[in-house]
This record gives sequence, C-alpha cells and structure tokens, in this order.
Amino acid sequence: MASTFLAYNVASRAMEASQASINIVGNNISNVNTEGYTRQRVDIVSVTTSGTVQKYATPVISTGIGAKAVRTTQLRDPFIDARYRTQNAETNRYATMVKGLRNLEDVFDEASTEALQGELSSFINDLQSLSQTPTSSDIAQVARSAAEKVTQTINMYAIQLEEVRTEQTENLEVVVNSEFNTYVKNIASLNKQIQNEEIYGNTPNELYDQRNLLIDKLSGVANIEVSMAPADVITENLSIPHYSIKIKNQSGGEDIMLVDNGRYSEMSLDASDPLDVQLKIVDTTGVERSDVNSNVLDGSLRGYINLINGKGSFADTTVGESDSRGIYYYARKMDIFANQFAKELNAINSNITGATTELPLFTDASGTSTTNITAKNLQVSTAWLKNPSYINTTKNPVIDPPPTADYTATPASSDNILRMIEKMSDKIDFKDSLGNTILTGTFNEYMTSAVSEVATDVELHSNFFKTATNVFQTISDARDSVAGVSLNEEGVNLSAYQKVYNAAMRYFNVLDENLDNIINRMGV
Amino acid sequence: MRITYRMMTSKYSTNLNSISSDLDKLNTQVATGRKYARTSEDVSSAVKGYQIRRNLSKLEGYQDNIRHADDFLTNSESALGQIESSLAEATDKILQGMNGTQSEGDRKIIASELRTIQSQLLETLNTSTTGMYLFGGSNNEKPFAVVGGKLQFNGRNLDDLNEDTAVANELVASLKQDSLYVDIGLGVSFDQTTGEVDRNTVFNYSTAGINFVGNGTNSTVISGETVSNNLYDLLGRIATEFEKTDGDYSFDKVDKLHGLFSENSLKTYQTTTEIGAKTQYLEFMTSRYETQNFNLQERQTTVEGVDAAYTYIAFQSQKVAYQAALQMGQSVVQQSVFDYMS
Repeated sequence: MASTFLAYNVASRAMEASQASINIVGNNISNVNTEGYTRQRVDIVSVTTSGTVQKYATPVISTGIGAKAVRTTQLRDPFIDARYRTQNAETNRYATMVKGLRNLEDVFDEASTEALQGELSSFINDLQSLSQTPTSSDIAQVARSAAEKVTQTINMYAIQLEEVRTEQTENLEVVVNSEFNTYVKNIASLNKQIQNEEIYGNTPNELYDQRNLLIDKLSGVANIEVSMAPADVITENLSIPHYSIKIKNQSGGEDIMLVDNGRYSEMSLDASDPLDVQLKIVDTTGVERSDVNSNVLDGSLRGYINLINGKGSFADTTVGESDSRGIYYYARKMDIFANQFAKELNAINSNITGATTELPLFTDASGTSTTNITAKNLQVSTAWLKNPSYINTTKNPVIDPPPTADYTATPASSDNILRMIEKMSDKIDFKDSLGNTILTGTFNEYMTSAVSEVATDVELHSNFFKTATNVFQTISDARDSVAGVSLNEEGVNLSAYQKVYNAAMRYFNVLDENLDNIINRMGV
Repeated sequence: MRITYRMMTSKYSTNLNSISSDLDKLNTQVATGRKYARTSEDVSSAVKGYQIRRNLSKLEGYQDNIRHADDFLTNSESALGQIESSLAEATDKILQGMNGTQSEGDRKIIASELRTIQSQLLETLNTSTTGMYLFGGSNNEKPFAVVGGKLQFNGRNLDDLNEDTAVANELVASLKQDSLYVDIGLGVSFDQTTGEVDRNTVFNYSTAGINFVGNGTNSTVISGETVSNNLYDLLGRIATEFEKTDGDYSFDKVDKLHGLFSENSLKTYQTTTEIGAKTQYLEFMTSRYETQNFNLQERQTTVEGVDAAYTYIAFQSQKVAYQAALQMGQSVVQQSVFDYMS
C-alpha cells in the first residue's frame, strides 16, 4: 500500500517541475537577444512506481506518482544547421568579393571624375593642337605634359591596384589568424570540455551554444563539413559524440581535417609571391597541406583568393588557377595597355627618314630602355623630358637633297602627329605576352572595356550577394523558427506554469486538509 | 511557423536598411542630377556615356583645328588683300609711267616707287603668324628671299622652275601642293605604299606662295629676252625699263611686260577666291560640328542625367515609405503577450 505521505511528494515534485519550467522561461526571455542562444525546454516525465510484486498481494489501485523534471534540452534542427552553414559560406564569399571588387572599381571608375580615358582624350586633343603648329616648342611642351599625365595616371592605376592588393592580403591575413585559427582552436577546446561534461551525463547547453556559434562563424570562412560520427565509446553503455570538422578534398584524396575533437589545425598565409598568395594548413595530424587553395571553394577565404589571385582570362584552370577577374587580371591588363601604348607611339616616333636608332617617347623607369615596360614604371623618356621637340612631328625632318647649300629649313609638316592621332583613335590588337590578341579596339575602348568588366562584376556579385543574403535570411528564419525565443510563447508558458504551480499548491492544501481530517476529526 | 522575436527584429532591420539605402541612392541622384555615381550602378548607360564623352572630346579637337585653320585663312586673306592692293598700285604706277608725257626723270621716280612696292610685296609674302609663314608651305624658314637680284621660294630660284620637263613638273607640282593641314574629322588616312598623308582626308589651309607669285620664265613676250614670270622680278624688270634713258627706253617692251604682269596678277585674285571657298567650307563644318556637339550633349544628358521631376517624386514617395516603416517598427517590435499580462 502506498504511504500516506506519497501524495505530498507528488505535490512537491509538481511544484518543483513548474518552478524549473518557470526558471527556463526566465532564462529564455533573458537570452532573447543573445547571439547563438538556443531556446531550452525542461523535459518533464511522469513518474510511476513499479517493480513491486503484486501478483499475490491484495490488489491496490496503482496511481502514478506525479511528474519529474529530468533535464533541460535544446530545441535545434541539425539539418537546418547544415544548410545554414553552406549558405553562410556562399553569402560570405559574395560579401567579400563585392567589397573587394568595389575597391577595384574605385581604381578604374570614371563615372563621376575623369581618369585615364579623360587623359587619353586630352592627349589626343593636345596632339591636335601640336599638329596646328608643329614647330612651336611650347605647344610641344603642352603635348608632352599631356603624355606625362597619361603615364602618371597609368602609374597611379598600377599603384592603386597594388594598394588594393596589399589591403586585401592584410584582410586575408586577419581572416586566417583572427578568425580561422581562433575559431578552430576554441572549437577544439570546447569539444574537450563538452566531452568531459557529457561523460558525467550532463547536458552543457551553454557550451553547445558556444560551439555552434563558433562553427557558424567558421562556416563563413570556408566550406566546412561537420560530423559527429563515429561516436567515442567510453564504456559499453556510454558513447558520446565525437566532433570533427573538415574541408573536403575535391580531387578525391584525403580530406583536410580542421578539428578532430580536441585537436585542431593551424592555417597560415604564404604571401611571398604577392601576385599568387597560398594558404597552408597544418592539419590535425600534423601534416602540412599545400592543396588548400584548390579545395577552399567557398567562404570569405575563397573570396579573397579570387580577388587577389584571380587571373580572369589569363588563368590556366587546368592547374587550378582562379579565373575570377581579380587584381592580378587587371594589373596584367594595365601592363599590356602600357606596353602597347608605348610600343605604338615609339614606333611612329622612331620611323623617320634617317633615324638609325629607336627614338622612344615612352620608356620604363630607366628613361631609355623600352624592354620591360609595365604600368607601374611607364614614363616619358628622358630624351623627351629634356627636349619637348623630341617628338618627331614629321617623317621627313630634313629636306633631302637641300635645294641650295645655304638654305636650311625645318619642315613643319605634322604628318607624324596625325599618325599618332590616328593610332590613338584606331582599332589596334592588344596582345598578351604570348602573342594572343585579347582585345581589338582603341586605347580608349580598351579602358572602357576594363571599367565595364569590373563594373559588371560588381553588379553581378552584388546581385549574387543579394540573392544569397535572401536565401540565407530564409534559412536563418527557419532556424530561428525552431531555435529562437518567442516572447509570446514564453509569456503563455509563464502563465501556464504559474497556473500549474498554483494548482500544485492547491493540491497540497487539499492533502493537508485531508490529513488534518484524518488525524483530528476521524473517529472522534 | 513559429515567429520568434529575433526573426521580427532582424527582418525589420533588414527592411529598414534596404529602404534607407534606396533612399540614399535617390537622394544622391536628386543632389547630383546624375543617374549613377559609379559605373556598376548602370553599366550599359555608363559605357554609352564614355562613348559620348569620347566623341565630344574628338569634336572639341576638330573644332579647335577648324578655328585654327579659319584664323590662318583669315590672315592669309588679309595678306592677299594687301598684295592685291600693292599690285593694283603697281598697275597704276605702270600705266602712269607708260604715259607718253612722262619725262625720263618722272619715269625714274615711278621706277623707284615700283621698287618700294616690290619690297612691300616681298615683306607681305613673308608674313608670319604664330611662327608659321602664311605662304611658305610647310617650311618654317622665310619662304621668299632675294638672292643675287632674283626671287627665291623655299631656297629655289623661281626662274629656274620652268615646267618643261617631267622632273621639273613634278617638283613644281609638289612645291605648289606643299601646304599646312589639320585633321578636321574627314577620316585621316595614309598612302598604303609611301605612308604619306592622303591630302584629300585632311584640310589643307595654307597656300604656297609659288601658286600666285608665279614661276619660270617667259621668252616669247620680248623676243630675245627671257623674262621672269614671278610678279616680284617682273615688277623689277618693269622698273628697270623705266629707269632707262630716253634713248634706251622702249614703250613697246613696257607695254608687253605690263601685259604679262596683269596676266600673272590674276592668279592672286584666283587664290583669294579659293581661300573664300575654303573659309565657307569651314563655316559649313563648324555649324555641322556645333549641331553634332549639341546632339551629343543632349544624349549625354539623357544617358548620364536623371529626370529631375521623376526622381524627386520617387525620392518623396521613398521617404514616405521610410517613415511608414519607422512608425510600423514602433508597433511591431513592442507588442507581445507581456504587454497584456497583469
């Protein structure tokens, strides 16, 4: 037979369970805005007596003996988590690309203020002026100043591209050290703490939240895969989840392990070749992996690699080079432009009757050599700087033969200037170092195409980013819908549990009254 | 679906952000009058805009060249006017001298007047503007000089330039064609073989003096004497004749020389007419480019600019949407069951 005071325990457990539930409501409400917080619930089970042998005893009515709050659990959907993380990687890749491409666009953009295209046009117009009075050295000086502005603008582009590259490399360095390395280290340390708790049968919800938050953040950095299997078997009856995070090897070889329970990898950035930066990871087994660049396909890391190493149409995709139009691509394009510009105009200036050597208007930084011209070192030749009239306005600068011995005239034709103007406004084939034509058009059109390429990329990636953000928002909402705190719901729960609590107290009073009757009134 | 607190707040802030970024864009458009501040905002318009800017700048260059050529032509015209009046004055003097009542002394005076006109003529022929000689072709050296009493053009004795052989013909033709030229948008091209500028694709604005001064000699006017064709030397010859003593002076010769002089002077008037025609052509090109310039600017406005009224209305309605969103936020965020619990 059940003991008299059993019912008191039922009431006390009911109050205890309600109290716990009310506490959880408080906890949920408090953490409504806490980043990474997963809503919790008290698991309440009904309790019954069992195990007594009643077969031959006097039958008694078996009643349950109330409810018991056993543990608090989190409400979370691991499937949504996986989707959330994949989408987070994509969104972050686009976000990184958009930011970087915008910087690149700033270098080339001439929508509001004129830059190289404007300078090229002024150069042509100053050449036109020079064609009016080819022998006047002051106009020649004006034309030379315009040429200097062109070269300086090209130099500025090259320098700004380098600045953007430095900035993006620094950003990448921050992502590698302050984000990736910190996250994996913290996740590994949390894994250890969580396993310790789990061995004792605890559910360290707050630690789970912390770990999930860190994994979410890590998912923004790279395309990671999280796995909890196979579980660690502690004893025959106790297995606890074993967390591991990896980057899948795209070529089918061994995956790159980032976190393996308590062990973690370390990433480093090798920027010894600033044009082609390499990510390196010492994985959880201590092996240095150099195939990181080709396997990081998403997340902000990919974004930075595309921006810094992106070779566009110059990429050799068979060896895994990025074919995004990044800094490398535009820097190379500017080098080709600078080379072609110098080559075409130098050829016209040198191709004059009686000239035996090259008479370059544009050279590299040496001021005389034209062999290694890049966008950064292009300049007006020393000879032209010394003498504004070094620019040959005519193909036949000497009258040959002279009509009379004492008649020395300088022909004032402007045919060569017209050749230059024509070259500046004619379509020419722009060739890369391998001799492949990359574009046929005027110098101005070449720059327009560069601007429109980067602008189209910005537009495209902004749209991708918007779409990705929308999808991410939807997934994030779906996750919040499961794991987030709803104030209404908590309010309702609070009222409900309060009522239960009150009811339990009422039940206690009834029991007390009953006992009072039994002791003080029964049989009196 | 459970709607949680964070879902509402994050969605609300996302919406607010997107509305205010739209508002910002419209605000920039209204303030700057430009459709786009960056190429990426409207790539196709921006590329069109760059094309228009290029064409505008090209036009600017052509217009500047036209102005230059026009100035030069005006100068040439007035210099030619001076030459014409010198020639007319010379004709007057010659006729005066030919009058039978003139004494030997009178003729000598007239001869010295003719010599003055001669030197005036030389001076005018060598007129220069901004370092270039009006009638010197493409040389920057003084084109006309008197060496050994004979007029030279660009280092060559004009008397020697008889068009009696193919070589001489070619030389004279090239001297006559020698001209300054500018690109006025006729599609400059170059000879495929020689690489020289195709003169039909540029605007030739200077006239070589040889065209109207005359070249070569004439041996038919006065039998037994070769007379210079060029006006300067011819004038000198007439003066020489006037300076002769009564016994040597021949009215007949002067008359014939005068005939040659009048005939050769005609080229000057022809040249003036040619310059007039060129000036007119430039006027035509100027107005054509002005129209083009205007059209391009108009296109630029449509491509790069915004419709002010439309943009302002859009801006205002976006502002209303923004305010509505803000007001709504006040009620959306606060309300929950807690507001009604006692």
